[in-house]
Amino acid sequence: MKKLMLGASLGALLGAGIAGTAYSADYTPVTDARLVNPEPQNWLMTRGNYKGWSYSPLDQINTGNVKNLVPVWTVSTGVDSGHEAPPIVNNGVMFVATPYSQVMALDAASGDLLWRYKRKLPPGFSALHNTSRGVALYGDKVFFPALDAMLVALDAKTGKVDWEAKVEDWKTGYYTTMAPLVVKGKVLVGVSGGEFGVRGFIQAFDAETGKPLWKTYTVPAPGEPGSETWQKPDTWKTGGASTWMTGNYDPATNTVYWGTGNGSPWFGDQRPGDNLYVSSTVALDGDTGKIKGHFQYHQNESWDWDAMNAPMLMDFQDNGKVTHGLVSPQRNGYLYWLGRNPDGNISYVKSEPYVPGNVFNSIDPETGRPDVNLEHKPVTGKDVSFCPGLWGGKDWPFEAYNPKTGLIYIPSNENHCNHMEGKVEARVPGQWWTGVAGPDIHFTVDTKAAFYGELQAYDLNTGKRSWRQLYPNSMMWGSMLTTAGDLVFGGGTTDREFRAYDAKSGEELWHFKTNSGIIAPPSTFEVGGVQYIAVASGYGVDPATQQNLMSELVGWNADVPQGGVIWVFAVSK
Amino acid sequence: MTVRNKASADKATACDCSRRVVLGAGLALVPWWAASSKADDETDPTEILPQVGDHFVYLAGDNEGQVVKSADLVLDGPQIQAYPADPSGRVRDGSRLNLVILARIDTTGVAPETLANAADGVVAYSGVCTHQGCPVNMWAADRSAFYCSCHGSEYNPKQGAEVVAGPAPRPLPALPLKSADGVLLVAAGFTAPVGVQN
Repeated sequence: MKKLMLGASLGALLGAGIAGTAYSADYTPVTDARLVNPEPQNWLMTRGNYKGWSYSPLDQINTGNVKNLVPVWTVSTGVDSGHEAPPIVNNGVMFVATPYSQVMALDAASGDLLWRYKRKLPPGFSALHNTSRGVALYGDKVFFPALDAMLVALDAKTGKVDWEAKVEDWKTGYYTTMAPLVVKGKVLVGVSGGEFGVRGFIQAFDAETGKPLWKTYTVPAPGEPGSETWQKPDTWKTGGASTWMTGNYDPATNTVYWGTGNGSPWFGDQRPGDNLYVSSTVALDGDTGKIKGHFQYHQNESWDWDAMNAPMLMDFQDNGKVTHGLVSPQRNGYLYWLGRNPDGNISYVKSEPYVPGNVFNSIDPETGRPDVNLEHKPVTGKDVSFCPGLWGGKDWPFEAYNPKTGLIYIPSNENHCNHMEGKVEARVPGQWWTGVAGPDIHFTVDTKAAFYGELQAYDLNTGKRSWRQLYPNSMMWGSMLTTAGDLVFGGGTTDREFRAYDAKSGEELWHFKTNSGIIAPPSTFEVGGVQYIAVASGYGVDPATQQNLMSELVGWNADVPQGGVIWVFAVSK
Repeated sequence: MTVRNKASADKATACDCSRRVVLGAGLALVPWWAASSKADDETDPTEILPQVGDHFVYLAGDNEGQVVKSADLVLDGPQIQAYPADPSGRVRDGSRLNLVILARIDTTGVAPETLANAADGVVAYSGVCTHQGCPVNMWAADRSAFYCSCHGSEYNPKQGAEVVAGPAPRPLPALPLKSADGVLLVAAGFTAPVGVQN
């Protein structure tokens, strides 16, 4: 191993009194203050900060030296399927969740395995997506939502179970895959199950004891605000709006922003009305869970276009004035700028398509409500096509925002569509219930397209595209990380590459072929004055399903090797 | 094990894959993530795997809860989902590993091993996908195949539920049938361990 570059910041770390030394002796508890202002050397939550930027102020690795990035250590996770969790790092201790409900704790600098938690899932358990999108930290605990809709609190030092709390009954179709969001001593979790006719919710548990504190459904019951948007009796009970990605948080207003999923079943004519809060961002009070505001991206959702990603919290220029806002590239193919009002209400500012589509004729400039072309809205009893297809302009992989460049980096896909015909089906709790059987969900692509996957950079203020990288031979399923070193890191392509791009120009500056396809978010951290880049490589789940279809449609190799490995890189001197 | 003896008496291809035997044979037969954390599971009669003489009850649909009869099943149509029930009517739905799919097939040209496990032209298999354990609850009509809605594995009901598409690593275990006055009964235990086997 080559000697690693030592930065000048080691002294500063020691001076701050938070440099990691012997792990078991002094694990650094995670506090509210640390979550609000995470130290640059740490990656304490899924997207690095409460704003959801996937940005690190570390700049030791930069455009000048990234070409010298080399692997420092790796570790096998021992499981296949889609690895979708970022390495979470707290003063030299790394926590990574993997498919099949496993958490590994590692020495972040040496790669030594500190402990491993493997959950025994119930007999007969299954999940559509056997993945995990990460853990959350608070105090001296690690919070892990297991697949069987159980929230598990682990001792950060030992991996021993501190408490377990039931989120829901997995046999009814609920399961959990997102990383929790910790807000002032509460662990907030959302649920998956939008293909199984669940009713979404966000639930808060006491971090210390696991006691459930509040539970806010994302589909209102009759009599609650928004219930008038469910015009057919009982459709709200199985209406979807799952909450399968982590929310973001504004400490200034104590507001949690959380995304919601598709409607259930998929075909909106079976559940007439706008169907709040399906395909929306909801704003919740951080203490009580009360819904303070919402924005619905498209009404009577019928395309499997979840709005699962919480928008990024950021200020932008709008007509010459600074707006406290929310920005989000949505699965429906549009990039949204929204107003983040102090009372929790969300206002529409503007939107622009970031991929071509044929569903929205226009978007109302005042309300943000799309005018939908009904020729391209899936319904019951008629085969209807729509573009982009159900995986959308982008699926769940994270965009990133770099305040130094003012650019938003969006991993996206183009030139794909779906067509399908809805059927009325009886629901069996815990089983697929979308109104269309798998073999009848028809995925199509423009087989002569110049590319399918891409990485796009958009200017936050002008809304103009600054640069893009096109991938003719792959879809793009990589979450992005951007750093103060003027870099963007991400995988996402089926050639197993992990890449670094110049954040300003988009030029590819470095690449490394890993064991498998990378769909997990990268993270970055510093230990002992050395900056590291970490990412799990392990392909599977929806990208693999899509790759099988691309194999049939355009002849791509369906065999993207699976099996998880965590990679940690640093610059060699 | 008495269960094995009963099972073997009816069908030569049967193995005993009841929970008790699986546990007794060692955890190698149960993947680490699917293994039960409770040692006493096998004592719950609703959780043990189908026993010889069990009948079936519909899991869902218009016939939910009713006894499955061979005449009810549509020839070369979609499978139905059912749970086994003991002669007293106690349904073994305590574990989803007991989920069974039944389909009536045109027996012309059907593999002899498949035919041997059929009764009244009806075949039964584990309804738990061997890939990731999802219910095999759909039917690919154009290919006359069982279809798993989670990840698209397909199985041929006429050829021992062999995998014809998708990621599943092995066929669905068969559940040998017999018939008494048109009521379908379990003739022997599953021919292989059910669910995901790493």
